[in-house]
Amino acid sequence: MKRILKAVATSVGGWFEARLRLKPAVMPILEHPIPAGAAGPKGWWYVFGSASMTLLFLQIATGIGLALVYVPSADQAYQSLEYLNYRQPFGWFLRSLHYWSGSGMVVMVVIHMTQVFLHGAYKYPRELTWIFGVLLLLLTLGMAFTGQVLRWDADAYWGVGVGASMAGRVPVAGPGIVELLIGGPTIGASTLSRFFALHVFIIPGLLITLVGGHLWLVLSRGISEPPVPGEPVDPKTYDAKYHEELKKGKPFLGDAMTKDAFFSALVVLVVVTLAAVIGPKGPGGLPDPTLTAANPRPDWPFLWLFGLLSLSPAGLETFVMLAFPVVLVICLLLVPFVSNRGERAPSRRPVAVLIVLVGGTTLAVLTYEGMTSPWSPKMGAWSGDTIPTAIVKRATPLELQGAAAFQNKDCRNCHALDGVGGRRGPDLSTVGTRLTRDQLIDQINNGTPGGGNMPAYGKHVRPAEMDAMVAFLMSLRPPGQPPAKVALVPAPTAAP
Amino acid sequence: MTTQVLNRIPAFLIAFTLLASGCNPPGKPTPPQTSGRPEAVTDFNVLYAAHCAGCHGTDGTLGPAPPLNDPLFLKIVPDTELVRVVTEGRAGTSMAAFDQKKGGPLTTAQVKVLAEGLKTKWGKPGGPTDVPGYLLTPGGNVEDGAMMFAMACASCHGDKGQGGKSGELRVGAINDPAFLALSSNQVLRRFIITGRPDLGMPNFTEKTNRPHNFSTLTAKDVADLTSLLNSWRSPATK
Ligand code: HEC
Ligand code: HEC
Ligand code: HEC
Repeated sequence: MKRILKAVATSVGGWFEARLRLKPAVMPILEHPIPAGAAGPKGWWYVFGSASMTLLFLQIATGIGLALVYVPSADQAYQSLEYLNYRQPFGWFLRSLHYWSGSGMVVMVVIHMTQVFLHGAYKYPRELTWIFGVLLLLLTLGMAFTGQVLRWDADAYWGVGVGASMAGRVPVAGPGIVELLIGGPTIGASTLSRFFALHVFIIPGLLITLVGGHLWLVLSRGISEPPVPGEPVDPKTYDAKYHEELKKGKPFLGDAMTKDAFFSALVVLVVVTLAAVIGPKGPGGLPDPTLTAANPRPDWPFLWLFGLLSLSPAGLETFVMLAFPVVLVICLLLVPFVSNRGERAPSRRPVAVLIVLVGGTTLAVLTYEGMTSPWSPKMGAWSGDTIPTAIVKRATPLELQGAAAFQNKDCRNCHALDGVGGRRGPDLSTVGTRLTRDQLIDQINNGTPGGGNMPAYGKHVRPAEMDAMVAFLMSLRPPGQPPAKVALVPAPTAAP
Repeated sequence: MTTQVLNRIPAFLIAFTLLASGCNPPGKPTPPQTSGRPEAVTDFNVLYAAHCAGCHGTDGTLGPAPPLNDPLFLKIVPDTELVRVVTEGRAGTSMAAFDQKKGGPLTTAQVKVLAEGLKTKWGKPGGPTDVPGYLLTPGGNVEDGAMMFAMACASCHGDKGQGGKSGELRVGAINDPAFLALSSNQVLRRFIITGRPDLGMPNFTEKTNRPHNFSTLTAKDVADLTSLLNSWRSPATK
């Protein structure tokens, strides 16, 4: 039986091969020699790139499946996801796989880059391969971001909002970019169409093209040999040395490919398990422009940025939002130019190891902060978080009314008192020592100039409410400390 | 590692995938259930902590809004008024409407739990008798009110309500136009009757820091005093 099958396969294969002539093109690729070291046990270091690609294929397959049902229109997107979740057989599993494999792809790409960085594999002559890799990371994150928007729930809405407010801060071109990105001055029906186009046509097109380029570079310049301490890269001699090394090399088809396949299978297994056990993400609450329900957060690949925003002082927010990601990307792109020669082994590159350790820890801490920090308003604080009783006990009737108005106007959702309450804005427990009456009025009337962080309450606060709230805020000082008389900080400039 | 292992991988993966998705794995979402949703909560304590404590205080006292944990208040306030206030709030004040029909966060059933729960939780039998009624009464004489104010209030709030002292305690102004603009006449009447026990303001019959010849306020006194405070409002908000 087996023999007959084999004979059939050989003859059918032979028929096609006689006409396609693929062998001369494909076999050299499969059989191209790789450094002997990379075929041994150290070869396990080389499996992350192919695992990323395997997940990309899984994303394409599940993505096409989802596109068959998903309706990219603002009024039906949410329903179509609920349909997938609850009624379409296996629909939920498709969504779940797509989410977990997408997450896995981000993880794999990052691990792959870390390995390449630690082993100095980006050094001569593989600088371009690294640059393609950085671009692929960005595109992968782009897929994660646009994909989260397609869920079109409260998280998505918030994500676009933050994205748009980031883009809106770009000098001069800002409003234009926002318009292009969300299809109008505000998030609306055409926003979803834009993100759908980005997620299924534009970014995947770029992604697949760049993967092709990346692979071409990997094949043409070969994969790096495992680093050996004391054998630095010198662009003048490297090519000849590598050529010698390849003479002792092993074909890719064989041990290396088996390792790749084995690891990819393992990764897929983990993804399938997570998909089955934890299930699809969302859709969460329906999008609501006034954000009255949940505490929306972006998907995990962006939590670190969220955490960073929550930690950064208000004055630095524009820098953090705009300049920081750009600086980070430029640093990544510059890596192979800053050090394209010299030692490759991590044991001889303490700075590289340190960068990975510090970078990794920072990302982890920021992600944790993003996960737990109420950067977005704490929605129930206005009616659930009490005014510290010490403040109530010494308050005058007017200040009591101010405190009630403070709660009623949702200020508490963003501002804590004695550490309790939202933390979107600063804790106001001692604001009376910082701001004068005029500054307080200005802050409440105009919010954050230019919009964004604190809404302008001018039109929503009656004069009596303003008087009472300002009296209350001015009373927020440690006992014995006088109210702010002169401005300690320059008064915020009014919105144009 | 041999190609044999490799050959089995696809079959294994397919089998595993089918297995994982076929039966009912924990990840399979179930349509949202009503239990556990915010609308399903009907426990007074939970609802109070989430929706009322922010203004009325953790245990119904020492919040910026009038204390609800006040047996005298609960003794005189009619049940229908409690339901009405929580349902639709008090226009012009910081007391918001809480019923979903009025744009609030709570269902009618939850509003009922809260309004009825107040008396069960904090109401106490006993206390002063012959208490003037809670609801506003028509009439009330400003001049008589001013005379009564000098007797019953001025010792702490100053002769024009501008604020003063009660023993060591500084007492704030109650003639402030912004304070009055944010207070309903109903709540002013209530304070005259119940005082603010949590902040040291005596009720209609207590003599704390009041002249010796002070005698319990009558229903007429309460109406006159309410009219007096109302007359202090700035013309726009009267
Ligand atoms: C959506 C969140 C949000 C809400 C709601 C909000 N604020 Fe703010 N607020 C902020 C942020 C963020 C800042 C930081 C400064 C800035 O960006 O303008 C701030 C700053 C302030 C400051 C200056 C604090 C300082 O130390 O400099 C005051 C005072 C203030 N807010 C009062 C209020 C009051 C009163 C209300 C309700 C009427 C309110 N805020 C509602 C977010 C908010
Ligand atoms: C944002 C602050 C705020 C919240 C939250 C709030 N209240 Fe009030 N409440 C007030 C204020 C202020 C008054 C006084 C209104 C007036 O001037 O008549 C009041 C008055 C009342 C009264 C009438 C008291 C009286 O003396 O006449 C009741 C009853 C009441 N609230 C119940 C509730 C309940 C129950 C909740 C929770 C569902 C709640 N409140 C939540 C601010 C609040
Ligand atoms: C023993 C002193 C004392 C007397 C007498 C007194 N009060 Fe007060 N009153 C207070 C204190 C203390 C407060 C709490 C606010 C503060 O400390 O400023 C207060 C608060 C008030 C409030 C505001 C309550 C709130 O929560 O917004 C009103 C209205 C008021 N008093 C009216 C009166 C009237 C009318 C009289 C006369 C019938 C009167 N008070 C008599 C001590 C007194």
